Amino acid sequence: MVMKKNPSTGRKKTATTKIQTKSHLQVTFSKRRSGIFNKASELCTLCGVEVAMIVFSPGNKVFSFGHPKVETILDRFLSAPGSKKHQLLEAHRSIYNIHELNVHLTEILNQVEAEKKHGDLLEEMRRLNQREHWWEAPIRELGLHELEQLRASMEELKKNIIAVILNGGGKVDDEFLESKAAAFIIPNGHNLLY
Amino acid sequence: MTRKKVKLAYITNDSARKSTFKKRKRGLLKKVSELSTLCGIEACAIIYSPYDSEPQVWPSPLGVQRVLARFKEMPELEQSKKMVNQESFLRQRIAKANEQLKKQRKDNREKEMTQVMFHSLMSTATGKGLQNLSIMDLNDLGWLIDQNLKEIYIRVDKLNKEPLNPPPPPPPTDDHGLMPRTSSSVDNHVQPDHHQMNMETMHRQRWFMDLMNPQEHMGFVGDEMMLPFADYNHNALWSTAFFP
Repeated sequence: MVMKKNPSTGRKKTATTKIQTKSHLQVTFSKRRSGIFNKASELCTLCGVEVAMIVFSPGNKVFSFGHPKVETILDRFLSAPGSKKHQLLEAHRSIYNIHELNVHLTEILNQVEAEKKHGDLLEEMRRLNQREHWWEAPIRELGLHELEQLRASMEELKKNIIAVILNGGGKVDDEFLESKAAAFIIPNGHNLLY
Repeated sequence: MTRKKVKLAYITNDSARKSTFKKRKRGLLKKVSELSTLCGIEACAIIYSPYDSEPQVWPSPLGVQRVLARFKEMPELEQSKKMVNQESFLRQRIAKANEQLKKQRKDNREKEMTQVMFHSLMSTATGKGLQNLSIMDLNDLGWLIDQNLKEIYIRVDKLNKEPLNPPPPPPPTDDHGLMPRTSSSVDNHVQPDHHQMNMETMHRQRWFMDLMNPQEHMGFVGDEMMLPFADYNHNALWSTAFFP
């Protein structure tokens, strides 16, 4: 069996054999590969150790991660211990930059998480509204009569929007106005609101 | 309580750093082994730490030699194409995270505007509610309505072409809002709703500008959505000044 579900620890999958379907395998490879490089990077940052990893892809391409650099670790592993001094110098120089990048990355990931929560909240409110208001249902579920009413109301709202914009209504955000000031003059003065 | 997020910085406390190293090293090597089994690929890991004179390796010293040999045989270009160090790796992740953030914000903006749209449809104070929307909101709202109207027309055409299925009972009209009273004519197992269409750029300042002077941007190379009213003019009802 491909995946033995481990009941005691919930969702955890125990990898026992190769994935059969090609697409599933490729997706798994790319996700886990970047996850592993991330874990390696965290290990280097947290513990100040040096790591090199080489991973061949199902398509026989090769991915590699190295801190401070792949070559230096491989040389060190393959050749005599002589090259130790050179690495330390290099590791020191890049530490400052890495810290900055780590901080920056953490910041963005936190923002992504906050936006995701916000999105979920909006989604939830949407579901509540859909239960109460038939017109918020997907258009493909509405019948002719409902569609007609929704159309009429939407067009009415659209007219109101035009009216509000034309009367210079709506909270003005300057950056928008500056760039489009001239456009507010109606070329032919035609009455728009039919 | 969820696990506390670890601060991504060098752990100064020696014992904490050592125990973190032990745990995370084991986790990392386990993940490499899982990846290798799951995807049937070759991989290796080499870790030099102050805690061991010998490097910690996966799968084994011999296994590493074999993978390194295969790696060294590959052309120089292939070796370095997907080679990263910590700095380049982090920069890549930052770029991806920024992309993700941008997309998430766009989706949320769309959801918010959809909510504003349905709210504005409902409120009887037709003009008033719109006053406190910014020009940009009004523009996006207008654009969103256009998309929905387009879909309504398509749906109406489709239904008109299927005379067989009986039209659902008309929902009773309610007295105060623009919209008829809520009714259960729509069963509530609502699938993911497509009012939130995929919009490239939600901030369509252009919507109102296109409305005002459609000729000016006729040559506009932008996508078809930039020419409102042009493509669903078949409905005789729709007669405004902008219509040739």
